[in-house]
Amino acid sequence: SAVRCQLSPPQRALQASAVLRRVSDEQKKEPLTSSSEHQFDSHPTDHQPEQEPQGPHSSYTGQGGQQSEDYESEEQLQHRILTAALEFVPEHGWTAEAIAEGAKTLGLSVAAAGMFHSDGSELILHFVSQCNTKLSELLEQEQKLVQLGEAEKKPTDQFLRDAVEARLRMLIPYIEKWPQALSILLLPHNIPSSLNLLTSMIDDIWHYAGDQSTDFNWYTRRAVLTGIYNTTELVMMQDSSPDFEDTWRFLENRVADAMSMGNTANQVQSTGEAVVQGLMGAAVTVSN
Amino acid sequence: PAGGVSLRLCIMPVALEGMNKPVIDRIIQVDHVGEYGANRIYVGQVAVLGRSSVGPVIQQIWNQEKDHLKKFSELMVAYRVRPTLLLPFWNIAGFVLGAGSALLGKKGAMACTVAVEESISDHYNSQIQTLMEEDPEKYKELLQIIKQFWDDERQHHDIGLEHDAEAAPAYRVLKTAIQLGYKAAIFLSE
Repeated sequence: SAVRCQLSPPQRALQASAVLRRVSDEQKKEPLTSSSEHQFDSHPTDHQPEQEPQGPHSSYTGQGGQQSEDYESEEQLQHRILTAALEFVPEHGWTAEAIAEGAKTLGLSVAAAGMFHSDGSELILHFVSQCNTKLSELLEQEQKLVQLGEAEKKPTDQFLRDAVEARLRMLIPYIEKWPQALSILLLPHNIPSSLNLLTSMIDDIWHYAGDQSTDFNWYTRRAVLTGIYNTTELVMMQDSSPDFEDTWRFLENRVADAMSMGNTANQVQSTGEAVVQGLMGAAVTVSN
Repeated sequence: PAGGVSLRLCIMPVALEGMNKPVIDRIIQVDHVGEYGANRIYVGQVAVLGRSSVGPVIQQIWNQEKDHLKKFSELMVAYRVRPTLLLPFWNIAGFVLGAGSALLGKKGAMACTVAVEESISDHYNSQIQTLMEEDPEKYKELLQIIKQFWDDERQHHDIGLEHDAEAAPAYRVLKTAIQLGYKAAIFLSE
């Protein structure tokens, strides 16, 4: 502990990972083979000069195979633990218990759960982020197929419906515990992150839907879609129909509403433009 | 429709990795606002002075600004930058400035042009410097566009001067006021 205070943050991260691995060594059967790992094990309190370059490392071996890069950044380790923890969410909820179980499957100590908040915030945010990434990849794939001419371009309303449905379906395995997650995401200290994730997801969907607006429409469209997404998500929580068909029907209706609202808005705008032109004509007449 | 598809293919997503996204975002967002505002100014000017002797001159400048705006709108989509929230406000403010300065007479309109074009070209100049400092190679395309536009704006500025902008009533006051307003607009939009 006294030694820890002297170490800089990256070294502390190394220490943390090393501590976790040392504790789990007792449970692990295979010995650590890398020489650098060995150094940490035998001299934990020595203030070692930097042996390896700092910074994120891409190759993590995990099984003690290659000896070059089996040091990973704290962030990567956290990601792996959280991903493993998702499997235990249906049983334990979005809690430290799920994280502890996840850590165990990776051969780490359950103390790893101490790295995270006790309310499960990081786990939920990690899950949302993963879902968003999966959605982006899915939309990217679809776009490629259309560009290659192997698929038909969908009309906007169907595109939006399919994208929102695909994203909401990712919640199905966790649907019983999702209301709990939603309330945690609304906690003040989580709102910046959850809002960020939500807005970038909605922006992604519109981008792949082919939105090219550069005026106020940019905001209107995203606000409308956010509303559709959030309300559909809430409906899904209460839905008990087979394969959530009530939810998808609700989604279809909301998207249709939005489309017709867009048409009405256009009509209003045209009328507005006509009025403005009349006024301008009057102004020019007056000034001449 | 086929036209829509080919338009999409022309605006291919730019490789965003390795780019200093916040810097690029700010540049494109601010330039878009600037060009949008300039457009509205000229709409206002043409509305009042369209049929006067300087009408064709203003029209010509306006046409170039329309091209600039179109280009930045394309860049905005390609770089996935969000437009500024205050666009409707600048819509009206720009028009009022253009029409207002034109109501002061032809020289007033030219004074407005000189003031605005000077501000815009200064701005482009500092953006060019920023990008050059960052990495001229990486941002080559963007640099080229901004350099070209800087050139255009300098021309507009000179045209304004040629048409007796400096003889406008309260030229100094008008010019300072407009340039302060422009700086405020940039500040608010960032």
